[in-house]
Amino acid sequence: MKHRFTILLAVFILLTGVTLGAQAQKIEINFWSLFTGGDGEFFDGMVKEFNASQNEIIMKTDTVKFDNYYIKLTAALAAKNAPDVVVMHQDRLSSYVPSGSILPLNNYVEKVGVDMSTFEQAPLSSCTFDGKIYAIPLDVHPLIMYYNTALFEKAGITKAPESLEELFAAAQAVQEKTGAIGISADNTTAVYKAYTLTRMFMSMLKEQGFTTLNATNTKANFNNAAGVKAYQALSDMVNKYNVTPKQLDYDSAVANFKLGKAGIHFNGVWVTGTFEQQPGLKFAAVKFPALFGANASWAGSHTFAIPTQKTMDEKRILAAVKFIDWMTAHGYLWAKAGHVPTRKTAVETAEFKSLPYRSGYSDASKYTFPPPDTPKWPQCYDAISDSLEESIALNRDAKTALATMEQVVNAILTK
Amino acid sequence: MAILSGVSMRYRDKYTARDIALFSAPYLVVYVAFLVFPVLYGIHISFFDWDILSAKKFIGIGNFAKAFRDPNFLSSFAHTIQFVLLSTPTIIVTGFLLALLAIKPGKTGKAAETVFFLPYILSTTVVGTLWGWLFQKDFGLFNQVLSALRLSPVGWLTDPAHAMISIVIATIWWTSGFNMILFSTAIKQIPDEIYDSARIDGAGRTAILFRITIPLLRDTTLLVVILQLIASFKVFGQVFVMTGGGPYNTTQVLVQYVYRTGFSYFQLGYASAMSVLLFLVILSISGFQFILGKKRK
Repeated sequence: MKHRFTILLAVFILLTGVTLGAQAQKIEINFWSLFTGGDGEFFDGMVKEFNASQNEIIMKTDTVKFDNYYIKLTAALAAKNAPDVVVMHQDRLSSYVPSGSILPLNNYVEKVGVDMSTFEQAPLSSCTFDGKIYAIPLDVHPLIMYYNTALFEKAGITKAPESLEELFAAAQAVQEKTGAIGISADNTTAVYKAYTLTRMFMSMLKEQGFTTLNATNTKANFNNAAGVKAYQALSDMVNKYNVTPKQLDYDSAVANFKLGKAGIHFNGVWVTGTFEQQPGLKFAAVKFPALFGANASWAGSHTFAIPTQKTMDEKRILAAVKFIDWMTAHGYLWAKAGHVPTRKTAVETAEFKSLPYRSGYSDASKYTFPPPDTPKWPQCYDAISDSLEESIALNRDAKTALATMEQVVNAILTK
Repeated sequence: MAILSGVSMRYRDKYTARDIALFSAPYLVVYVAFLVFPVLYGIHISFFDWDILSAKKFIGIGNFAKAFRDPNFLSSFAHTIQFVLLSTPTIIVTGFLLALLAIKPGKTGKAAETVFFLPYILSTTVVGTLWGWLFQKDFGLFNQVLSALRLSPVGWLTDPAHAMISIVIATIWWTSGFNMILFSTAIKQIPDEIYDSARIDGAGRTAILFRITIPLLRDTTLLVVILQLIASFKVFGQVFVMTGGGPYNTTQVLVQYVYRTGFSYFQLGYASAMSVLLFLVILSISGFQFILGKKRK
């Protein structure tokens, strides 16, 4: 009796093991997500849908608190035990490409058959170094212009400002006729660094055909007539036309627009979600205007990269690429978080077009440009932000401001 | 000890020594692995150029020389010193005054002790976020009160003239309770007889405070001063959350610069070198304090 039961139990366990083993034909790949809050919910929803949509690959994601993300990631990359897929901001890629910490993907996307021509070229070329694709962009989150349509109507403004003159005219009209703030764009660091100034400066420079650093990333490229025009525009907002309050920090800049107290707001697309949830706020969002003739927008970009492992398993890499292909193709789901998809096919879907506001600025992805691809860029970015913030707060003239900034940036680049 | 006194000398020493080793081993293992080793390794890294992803490059005292020529190092060090000078005396004195309240008999004393110590258990991020919003220029509570009173709002965290002071205020609220506990415990240990005989001799409250209480607290005060100095030199969390080092870098403290250099700019050797310099400064000041305190005895 006893023996029979034991045998039955053993057979049962064996059968279970065999069926489980058969199921384990699915490849399990893992991923670190830095998306928390609203972004996090949308992203995790997409991963669930990916897992449900096919039987070959299971994606397991692990959310890392954003503050610690790059520290944890760098440590894992150094130890070569990072997950199969990671998210990286585009401006961080040049820190990891030279050391070979992430894989070039050209061969793998060809093997999987990803149609690279469906990607918007601007974001994709930002992920390409020396002709090799090191990451695939999921989205671009550019600097755009939000404006309050109710306040515009009250102030008698009929269309979104397109030139610098129109911008200041609209801002002044809003202030005089409605009492609201003309342009709510942050210029002071409090809880958040006042990066908006730098993003506007870089965009204005590019609109005039100038990159922030020279072609070899060895010198600053903004102490010239173009830089003067860009700096002057930013300074005039606060110091000449008084359409932007002094000592305005990021939280106040967003809150002012959200509460209907500001006509125009410059910020990244990520605040679309918070504005559309504000009852009674009537607004529109368009790409950053061509203040100096051409269109150009600073943009960040979330990209997918595949870390180099101690032993490369091609099956896992191909599975990861398939995951990336699916996620980017379904970019209209990600657009719910406000971001702009990078694949033309995603933007052309009915699902994307039915989302409010986003179609108004999706063309911004054509005019985005990457920041300089040098590992010293994060330090330059911070230095430029501090310098612009200081110069505008102290109302420095353009010549002095740009000379000071150039000195600091060149010191970083040559050391 | 009475049990062991009948046992032979040698046996007792061996037994006690073994016990000491065994019982402290678990703690010592963790201490050495997670405190001593990282500190020594950090000192080791400070002589190299290292971006964590590539190999280390030995550069001798290159990082230290770089620090003294780096305006960001010098300015963030100055901001740390500014914070130390503003916060150390105020937090110590506030702690002492709160202790005088906490030693009052009955419910008043107990309530004071609890209420004033509570902020200390909050984390840095909570305190920084809370006070960041209280001080917020356009929507924070303080400026809303000022506007209601028809006064103009203050740029508590956005005006370089006020930012550091605002951070100090938040820190006083947060950490005075710790010094209060140290002081009140020490005061409670002063024998009642001393106070009684002073009162009989006709000493008033002020005289008792300055001639008896404070002098008898000398050892505790020395401890509090050293602990407070060390904590103030290491300031980072609440500054980072409340101002991010702003406006335009005017409140960036040394630890924040070390953090940025190491983890944002991938210069771990240089970051370690700056940490070593901070360590030497704290060590010398604390050591100096300690010797000075011992001498007076």
